[in-house]
Amino acid sequence: MKTRSILSQTARNLSQTLGSQIMTMATVSLSVLIFSFFFLVFLNLQRTGIQLGEYIKIIVYLDEEPTATEKPLIEKQIRDFGPVDSVVFKSRAEALAQLDRHLGPDRDLLADLSPDFLPPSIEVHPARSLTALTRLKEFSDFLATLPKATKVQYGREWIERLASLTQLVRLIVYLSGGLLVLTSTFMVSSTIRLTVVTRQAELEVLRLLGADSAYIKTPLFLEGLIQGACGSGAGLLCLYGLFTWVQGHFSGHSALNMLTFAFLPGEAVILILVVSIALCTLGSLISIRKFLRI
Amino acid sequence: MDRTPPQSPIIDFSKVSKIYPPDVIALRDISFTVQPGGTLFITGMSGAGKSSLLKLISAIERPSQGVVTVAGHDLDKISPAQLQALRRQMGVSFQDFKLLPKQSVADNIAMPMEVTYTPKKTIRDRVNYLLDTLHLSHKREVRLDKLSRGEQQRVAIARAAANYPPLLLADEPTGNLDQTTTKLVMDLFEQLRRAGTTLIIATHDHSLYANTSHHVIELAQGRIKSSRPANEPTPAAPKPGAMKKP
Repeated sequence: MKTRSILSQTARNLSQTLGSQIMTMATVSLSVLIFSFFFLVFLNLQRTGIQLGEYIKIIVYLDEEPTATEKPLIEKQIRDFGPVDSVVFKSRAEALAQLDRHLGPDRDLLADLSPDFLPPSIEVHPARSLTALTRLKEFSDFLATLPKATKVQYGREWIERLASLTQLVRLIVYLSGGLLVLTSTFMVSSTIRLTVVTRQAELEVLRLLGADSAYIKTPLFLEGLIQGACGSGAGLLCLYGLFTWVQGHFSGHSALNMLTFAFLPGEAVILILVVSIALCTLGSLISIRKFLRI
Repeated sequence: MDRTPPQSPIIDFSKVSKIYPPDVIALRDISFTVQPGGTLFITGMSGAGKSSLLKLISAIERPSQGVVTVAGHDLDKISPAQLQALRRQMGVSFQDFKLLPKQSVADNIAMPMEVTYTPKKTIRDRVNYLLDTLHLSHKREVRLDKLSRGEQQRVAIARAAANYPPLLLADEPTGNLDQTTTKLVMDLFEQLRRAGTTLIIATHDHSLYANTSHHVIELAQGRIKSSRPANEPTPAAPKPGAMKKP
C-alpha cells in the first residue's frame, strides 16, 4: 500500500511538471547520446587499430639478395631485437611473381620489363606487442641498419594518423563525459527544485497533515531516478538507431568492409545506464537536501 | 495517538503565552485541560487569540512561555518524527482552509488518508460518505478553485474528519456557512464526538455551543475571560435578526 501511494504521488508530481520533466529527459538523453557516440567511436577506433595491427608488416628493401648463410644471421639479428611472428626473405624473382599475381589480367604490363627490376626484400611481421607506434618506429630504425638494407616501409603515416585520431576521440570522450555529469546532475537538480517550488503549498499541507519523510521525499527521489533511466535509455536507443543506420548505409563500401564495426558491449551499455541514473538521482538528492524543508 | 485514560488530559495548557515579534501578545498565561473525548469551544471576538491557540495545539506555532502538552507530548520537545505521527492523528480545519486549489474536491479530502497509506477502496468509500454527509457529492471531481467559500469550508471540514481523527481542531468551521450547512457540519462533529473524537472548535458563533453542556472558554485580548466547565448548559443566544420586544 505504501509503495502504491508513493508511486501514485510520483506520477502526480511528474504530470504536474510534465513540460520541465520532458526538457530534462531530453537534455539527459542528448548528453548520453553525445557521450556514448564518442565512446562508441573511440572503442571502434581502438578495435580498428588492433585489427590493422594484425596486417602490419615492415618491408626492408635490400640492394642485393642475402646469401643462404647470411639469411639465418639476419633473421637472428631481427628476432633478437624484438618479438616477431615471421621473417620472410623475398628474392627478386619472388617479388616479380607476387606482382604478377596481383596484376592478374593486366600482367602483360610487365612484359617489357627486366625480370630483376624489383629489389629483393625482407618482410617482417612484428608480434602484437611490437605494433605500438613508438615500438614500430624503433624497430624500423633498427631494420634500416641491417646489412644491405636500402629502405624500410611500414605505412607509418596512416598509423600515426590513426593514433592521433584515437587520442583526439579519447579527449572528446572525457569532455562529453564531463558534460554528461554536469547536465545530468544540474538539470535534474534544477527540475526537482522547480517541482519543490511549484508544489510548495502542497508540501506545506502535507507537512501539516503529518506526511512522513518517505511520503514527501521518495517521490522526488524517484523522479530523478526515472529521469535518469528514461533519459539515458532514450539516448542509448537513439545511438543504436544511428549505428544501425550507418551500418545499413555504409557497410557496402569496400574500404569499410575490411573492418568490422560493433555496437557498445552490453557491460558498457549497463554502465552508462547505471551511471546516468546514479547522476540523476544524485541531482534530485542535492535538491531535496537543499530546498526541501520538512 | 493512543486513547489516553480519562485521568490524563489529551490537551494540557500550562501558563502558556504566545508573543509574536516584536511584541504582539496573542495569548497570555493560558491554562486549561481537555479530557479525551471531550469537546471544547473556544470563543471570543476576532483577534482574541482563538486561532493562535489552535496553532499551538497543532504545533504550527511554538509557545513563547509555558508548556503545551498534546497526547502526552510536550510540543516544545517533540521530535520531528513524533510530530509527524501526532499530526496524522489530528484533523485540522484551518480558518484559511489550506486546501489545494488545483486538485479536485475528492483528492483534497483524500489527502490525510493518502499520507497514512490507507487502502484506495477505504479512501473512496470514506470520501463518498463525507461528500454525501456534507451535500457535496455533485462536486466530487470539481477543482477546488471552482467552489464557493462555503463549499471550500465544507471540503476543509471533510478533510479534517476524513481519517476518524482522535483529535479534531476546527477554526471558525461555520464562518462561511448558512444555517442548513452549519447543521450538516455540526451533525458530522456530533457523530465524531460520539465515536470518541476530542473536538476543539474555535468560533464566535454563540449558537454553536448554546444549549450544550460542553466546555467553553471565552478569550479576550489573549486572556481567558471566562471558562464554563462541561455539563453546565448556557442559555440560548438570541436568534440573529430576531426582533427585541419593546
